[in-house]
Amino acid sequence: MDGAKVTLGRTAALYAGAAVLRLALFTLFPGLPDLLTGRVEISTPVTSFKRLQEGLFLYNHNVSPYDGGVYHQAPLFLPLFSLLPSFATLPIFTYLLYIAVDLLSASALIKIADSGEAGSSVHFTSPRREKRWSGFIVAAVFLFNPFTIATCIGRSTSVFTTAAILHAIAKAVAGAPFSAMVAISFASYLSLYPLLLLPPLLILCYDRRNALKPIPSRYNFAVSNVALVVGVIAVLFQMSRFLTGSWEFLPSTYGVQLTLSDLTPNIGLWWYFFIEMFDSFRSFFLAVFWLHLSCYVGGLSIRIRRQPLVVLTLLLGLFAIFKPYPSISDASLFLAMVPLYRHVFPLMRYTFVIAAVIMYTTFLGPAFYHLWIYAGSGNANFFYAITLVWGLGLSLLVCDLTFAVLRDEWEVERPEMVGKDIRQI
Amino acid sequence: MRQLFSLLLALLSAASLGCAASDYHEQLVLRPLPLSTLLASFNFRSNITLSAFEAHNFDLFPRSLAQILQHAGTRELHLRFSLGRWDAQSWGARPWDGAREGGTGVELWAWLEAQSDEEADQKWRTLTNALSGLFCASLNFIDGTRTTRPVMSFQPEGNHPNVTMDNMHLLYGVLPHEVVCTENLTPFLKLLPCKGKAGVASLLDGHKLFDASWQSMAIDVRPVCPSGGECVLEIEQTIDMVLDIERSKRPRDNPIPRPPPGHELKCESSKSYHSGDTCFPVDYTAGQEWSLNQIFGKSMRETCPLTDPSVPPVCLQVPESRHVYLSHGAVEKKNPDGKSRCFEIEPGTGFELILPRLESDDPARSAAAEIITPETPLLYAERSFTGHGQERGGVQTILRNPSPDTKVEFIYMESLPWFMRIYLHTIEARIEGHSGEQEPLIKEVYYRPAVDRARATQLEVRMRVPPASTVFLTYDFEKSILRYTEYPPDANRGFDVAAAVITILNPEKNGTRYAVYNMRTTSLLCSLPTPDFSMPYNVIIFTSTAIALAFGGMFNILVRRFVAADEGPEIGSTIKEKIGGKLIKLLEKLGKAKAVGKTTVTETKG
Repeated sequence: MDGAKVTLGRTAALYAGAAVLRLALFTLFPGLPDLLTGRVEISTPVTSFKRLQEGLFLYNHNVSPYDGGVYHQAPLFLPLFSLLPSFATLPIFTYLLYIAVDLLSASALIKIADSGEAGSSVHFTSPRREKRWSGFIVAAVFLFNPFTIATCIGRSTSVFTTAAILHAIAKAVAGAPFSAMVAISFASYLSLYPLLLLPPLLILCYDRRNALKPIPSRYNFAVSNVALVVGVIAVLFQMSRFLTGSWEFLPSTYGVQLTLSDLTPNIGLWWYFFIEMFDSFRSFFLAVFWLHLSCYVGGLSIRIRRQPLVVLTLLLGLFAIFKPYPSISDASLFLAMVPLYRHVFPLMRYTFVIAAVIMYTTFLGPAFYHLWIYAGSGNANFFYAITLVWGLGLSLLVCDLTFAVLRDEWEVERPEMVGKDIRQI
Repeated sequence: MRQLFSLLLALLSAASLGCAASDYHEQLVLRPLPLSTLLASFNFRSNITLSAFEAHNFDLFPRSLAQILQHAGTRELHLRFSLGRWDAQSWGARPWDGAREGGTGVELWAWLEAQSDEEADQKWRTLTNALSGLFCASLNFIDGTRTTRPVMSFQPEGNHPNVTMDNMHLLYGVLPHEVVCTENLTPFLKLLPCKGKAGVASLLDGHKLFDASWQSMAIDVRPVCPSGGECVLEIEQTIDMVLDIERSKRPRDNPIPRPPPGHELKCESSKSYHSGDTCFPVDYTAGQEWSLNQIFGKSMRETCPLTDPSVPPVCLQVPESRHVYLSHGAVEKKNPDGKSRCFEIEPGTGFELILPRLESDDPARSAAAEIITPETPLLYAERSFTGHGQERGGVQTILRNPSPDTKVEFIYMESLPWFMRIYLHTIEARIEGHSGEQEPLIKEVYYRPAVDRARATQLEVRMRVPPASTVFLTYDFEKSILRYTEYPPDANRGFDVAAAVITILNPEKNGTRYAVYNMRTTSLLCSLPTPDFSMPYNVIIFTSTAIALAFGGMFNILVRRFVAADEGPEIGSTIKEKIGGKLIKLLEKLGKAKAVGKTTVTETKG
């Protein structure tokens, strides 16, 4: 009883600390939010707060925000931010909203960590599961990650997607498929790519639900949940259509992500590739890139069937590298899930290289961008090279985590192999 | 016989009526401006009745243009070719109240008769392509991304029946990057009845026109219905140019500017250090003598025989006290306002005019006696970019109302290329020096945002500037990065942004004219971030490698089995081992063969 109280008090202190830090950054450095909003590493065309403000302005002045090339975000943001007091006069409410969303994400993360799903799922129990970090530490790593803080201060709307994804996972771990499906529908509605998380999330829901109360038919379960997701998304679309008066938001939000018509630089691999792509091959490579993004879902779900949460984590990592408009917010979501696997850290081989590469790109990325855009002493290749290194660094982390998890699984079969050299054939 | 006579009479009267209906006149107005410059306004106008136009009986109306207008269903057309900047601070109000002026480059707007927007677009494409061929200009590049449909800025100048008004579509296109040159002047002159061979048009020469500090060529076609008379289609061709007198007088055979020898230097004698061997050169020479021949490089030939003789072909706007020397056969007629005089020229004779230097001791008095003080314009406008870097920026327009007691209400129109993403929520108008609450300056905004690669931004702002004050109109924008094939060959030069159109509204609500004054700001040069054009292959290869590394790494880990380092198949099963093994075998064989050979050799010896 006492222990629970202590943890509760500690968690409250953590939340308070994170909130105070963010509020202090918002209020003590009034230029900081706008500075971060303008950074390409934080704001992408589909998550930028400045574009949201423009969309909001047009929406409030009866101009369709989707009849133009600036606003590419979900329509339901418009009434949400219209209900808040005007940002120009009372920005504090917007700040509080973003802080609250971050804290909600942290609370979902605490639930995921405390469930112990990472170490022992229904079908697999890791021999190393005792060596893990509590929800408090995992949440602290998330809340005090500079990437998360920068995203929050930059008021990127990807924080809403992050919160929805984390809640979907938390609900799935808790064995509540209905809430999980509703949450993942919201995430997909906001940024499209979370729809690819549906298969592993369904598996996770099924495993957890089945353990609580046996499910008679797995096909019925899958079909009904997919139908639920489709239904929720359809309802959201209908509401959006009702709000904006037409379906033109579809090409302007999801169409832009699918066709990459806005080539604003970001930390991903798509923008420069499609700037330099020959016109006749553009649509072919768009299809290839999307196919590549979605091809991991099946492979990982089948190979790591016994640990669906691992699949979700790895997919989030891959999306942070390969999705059309990635930002450091996606990396921060992935890095928030990684500490759940504290128990396999000793099996990872390149932790130092990964940490060094991420630090290197974090500092050199903004510098090279400055050289290209402002100083004029570098060209686009400078920033492009850094985005390549960033992508390679993150993919090394994803691969290494996969390796560690698989070796952990293998060592259950071969307990005598712990600590020995191995190879793959 | 009597019947025949009456028929002849009827024919004659019809012919004379026809002549009267399709009259033509031309005029050149010369007005010296401060800083030793000269404004020359050429104006050519001809009419044709609408019925004759429908019957393809074009008379003096240029047939090539008329057929295009008929084919594209154009009811009213305005085309501008302009170059340079009108310096309102020194030259004052614009000629024609700015109505015959365009922004730098080519500007075209027209009212087309069409049942739907799609039909109007179709006709617009036809019109721009045909005009492109006629005027040797890149008008065919006015596509969807450069066309807007202004709502407030333009009103038809002609008289249109209400029936056609409902089906008329206004389209506006602008090419700020177009370089106006001699090849545009030649087709322009060909539209004239005398083709530039006679009359005031014989003074026009590409070398002088495109060397001017500012020039604007305009073509306006509009239907005019005089009260009680038959409606006519009127074509008006205008050329305005501001010539630097000293520059124009530079001899044609020695056009390279060289520093003048010391004794020819004109020095500012008011400087304290002015003496025999020090000189502060004055940048212009006031009160120079000039003649038509010196300014235009040639004298005017005889008047065009088709022109209406009642309109004097040349007028000069200088104070009445100044003397003018004329060639033989010309008669000077002073106008009653005391500011201008016109010259009538005998048919068949050429014309030459010399304005001698005004000899006066008092420099202050001579300035007023030399030229007519220019009118103050209703508004001064300057537009510029703010911010630095190739990521984002702002546009700032400074609007100054010089009048001490009347406010100015106007429409400010921008048509911006799609790659300038403007943020309308940042638009702000503030009066310099005022910060407190005040009546909002912006009355109305019409905004149509750009669509990437399909449509330009159209922004029209109705606003006012209070008397004797300066207003700053600002907004932010973001520069987008384009596909590498979308950049022009000189990508780092930047992209031209069309001039903003300012239409000052008539304060009398029921006045006959919609706009009392028009003006254009200068065009801007916007530099966008550029990719590296030299390495599309490298980028494709590098990115593909990065993706292949990630995918290959994952694939490797997912599909291969784990074994202990000393387990699994034999080491020799790897390719390296296999090749090594084969090599060893081969060497062994070779060694054996050598040994066998040696033995055979020894055997034969033995």
